[in-house]
Amino acid sequence: MEQLAEELQEQLDCATVFYIGPYGIKESIVVTWIIMAFIALVCFLMTRKLEPDPTKVSKRQLIVETAVDGLRNLVHGIVGEEAKEYGPYLMAVVLYLGISNIIGLVGFKPPTKDLNVTAGLALMSIILIQYAGIHKKGVKGWLHSFIEPVGIMLPFNLLELVIKPVSLCMRLFGNVLGAFVIMELIKAILPVGLPIPFSMYFDIFDGLIQAYVFIFLTGLYIKEAVE
Amino acid sequence: MIGTIIAIGAGIAVLTGLGAGIGIGIATGKATEAVARQPEASGKITTLLLLGSALAEATAIYGFVVALMIIIMLK
Repeated sequence: MEQLAEELQEQLDCATVFYIGPYGIKESIVVTWIIMAFIALVCFLMTRKLEPDPTKVSKRQLIVETAVDGLRNLVHGIVGEEAKEYGPYLMAVVLYLGISNIIGLVGFKPPTKDLNVTAGLALMSIILIQYAGIHKKGVKGWLHSFIEPVGIMLPFNLLELVIKPVSLCMRLFGNVLGAFVIMELIKAILPVGLPIPFSMYFDIFDGLIQAYVFIFLTGLYIKEAVE
Repeated sequence: MIGTIIAIGAGIAVLTGLGAGIGIGIATGKATEAVARQPEASGKITTLLLLGSALAEATAIYGFVVALMIIIMLK
């Protein structure tokens, strides 16, 4: 009991790697920088010498076009035609979350296991949702949306402002941490062979599903806000 | 003594998994029925099922987070 609690505490705490002035730089931020560098590098290498002529495209360009097209269809299917200008943000978030949820496979600590990271992403989501509402309906229409369909719904609509980001943040954090704890327990039972099928589910499948669920819900709320 | 009570509390918090299990079970059963009725729509049904399961699973995850907090905060 004590040992497990200490182990969990250690995993929940995100180590401070170094300091810039008074600000401590956490492990999750450093791993996020690595992911950013990786994405930027892939984007840079894959988009050299693009060919506009469809008869002369290289294999590399075909891969990029398929990937971008797939992501765009995925996101536009969620937010719909009316709010498709928010698509690129969602695409960036799903790329970041997808990579960070499965980065545990190569030995890094997933940044999404830090509550602060998921809280930040959830805050960005709720601000974007409200911005989408204001941008579409104007301040007056946005304020009026709080008393729709009837005035008595006002407290519930205000509560939603808090519940939406909290549930987004807790869902992602809890899933990643839960998967991690279960994997640690399985490794404690039998470290040879047994973790492989579970790792396929908990590390890869669940991580990607949760990345999708995060942008799905954000996109759904945006769609709701601009209606 | 205190450790035992904390363990019981954490165990009760994890009982939320019950709801998620029932929910996902019902969803999967209905999805199977839907595929049996319309096999050509299985791709879309699978997507919806995965999404619904992920959302239903969230309640179990909340229970897990609460149990974790009970163990760590009250230790």
